[in-house]
Amino acid sequence: MKPGMFKSLLAATLLLAAPLAAQDHAAPTDSTVQDSAAVAAQAQHAAPEAEHAAGPVDIITPHITNSDHMEVPWPVFPFFKEVHLPKWEPIHVGPLTLDMSPSKHVVMLLLGATVLFVVMLLVAGAHQRASRAGVAPKGAANAIEAMILYIRNEVILPNVGHHGEGFVPYLLTAFFFILTLNLLGLVPYGSTATGNISVTATLAILTFITVELAGIRAQGLGYLNTIFYWNNELPILMRPLLFLIMSPVEIIGKFTKPFALAIRLFANMTAGHIVVLAFVGLIFTFGNVISVGPFVMATLVMLLELLVAFLQAFIFTLLSSVFIGQIREAHH
Amino acid sequence: MSRSLIAFALLALTAAPASAAEGAAKPGLLDPHLGLMTWTLLIFVVLMVLLAKFAFGPITEAVRSREQALTDAMAAAERDRNEAAKLLAEQKSAIEAARSEAQRFIAEGRATAESMRGEMLEQTRTQQADLLDRARKEIESEKAKAIDELRREAVDLALAGAGKLIGQKLDAAADRAIVEQYLSSLGGK
Repeated sequence: MKPGMFKSLLAATLLLAAPLAAQDHAAPTDSTVQDSAAVAAQAQHAAPEAEHAAGPVDIITPHITNSDHMEVPWPVFPFFKEVHLPKWEPIHVGPLTLDMSPSKHVVMLLLGATVLFVVMLLVAGAHQRASRAGVAPKGAANAIEAMILYIRNEVILPNVGHHGEGFVPYLLTAFFFILTLNLLGLVPYGSTATGNISVTATLAILTFITVELAGIRAQGLGYLNTIFYWNNELPILMRPLLFLIMSPVEIIGKFTKPFALAIRLFANMTAGHIVVLAFVGLIFTFGNVISVGPFVMATLVMLLELLVAFLQAFIFTLLSSVFIGQIREAHH
Repeated sequence: MSRSLIAFALLALTAAPASAAEGAAKPGLLDPHLGLMTWTLLIFVVLMVLLAKFAFGPITEAVRSREQALTDAMAAAERDRNEAAKLLAEQKSAIEAARSEAQRFIAEGRATAESMRGEMLEQTRTQQADLLDRARKEIESEKAKAIDELRREAVDLALAGAGKLIGQKLDAAADRAIVEQYLSSLGGK
């Protein structure tokens, strides 16, 4: 049991799905299963599987991946209900097959967007009321205003450069959307949509498109310089040579930036959850007083995750602003 | 190089592998899902439009108007302050002017008083001198008159005494002339 446990911890920290022995945390009695349901919401949906499965069961992968069912809060024991989301016929767009069935992460995206929109509407309402009274709004509205102003005035505008107002809506939305989704992933019953590579890749592609469009708009034909390296300050013979060497580098650079954005956000959100889940798994693996250790660790890592939720949203916004600013300033 | 480039482009930009992966029973952690990407795109774009229109716009507008009000208030305060400083300077210069005026008046008064005093002193002095002079003259004339009187008295007395002495009435006028002649010869000495 000990080597297996150690192995699972090791595997979890290496960002791999860690199989935990089902009997280790659920098999002996029903009460353990009840405990698992009561103590940690994260462990809940693994419990029913554990009852049926005899062998090792993977509690981590279902938590960090998308699925066509989700657990919703339920007032009676075991305080959750598994809801199967509808399966729609795939839409065929040319050669592509679009499976638009609302999966767990789609629901989280919609929930996050709704929550964010409602909160922002309330904040805007508070601002308009306060503005009529000629004062600043109080409390949460003021806090969110401070965040908006900080991101806008300290992160976006200085990095994007002069006349950067047009990029503010995209970057602010990116920040708050990512932040909301990150935070929703920390809430019980929640799931981290930003821990899904499809979501982060889409956001990164949006940044990529924004960056390239900003480059074309700011530089016109000079934009081609950001793809094809042609330095007029070099000797005439060196130019084709450096063109051949540097152009691929420039082009790869264009794609690695959003690629890194996507992977960074995805990996950060996923890794934190895996670590938390590994500690939660350890709580039930021990099932005795030693569980206090993993419990404390899981709590601390959750607090760290709270920081990471803000940090990653901030970094995504900051880097997007920097990329936009770079291409607008490039080769001037 | 171009191959790795294409691989990068595919991973970052397109979801082409997703359509292949969708059919698979167990999608991996890193397999993009085209449907979810479309959902993300739709939700994000709609959210961005809504937030820009209903949240960020009004909020930045409110903040901007508040900042404007603050700037206005600050400008007004600055203006008031400048005005107050100007008024203060005016007041100060007025007080300064008044003070120098007063100084001037005082100095003038002093000068006037000084000259007046000098004049009056001079006047008094001349008056006094006049008075003294007149007194002296009067005394002089009184003295002369008194001497005259005394002399005449003395002549009379002498004549009376001499008449008595010689026992005979002398011709008063001729005698007087003699005596007076004598006396004036005395006075002539």
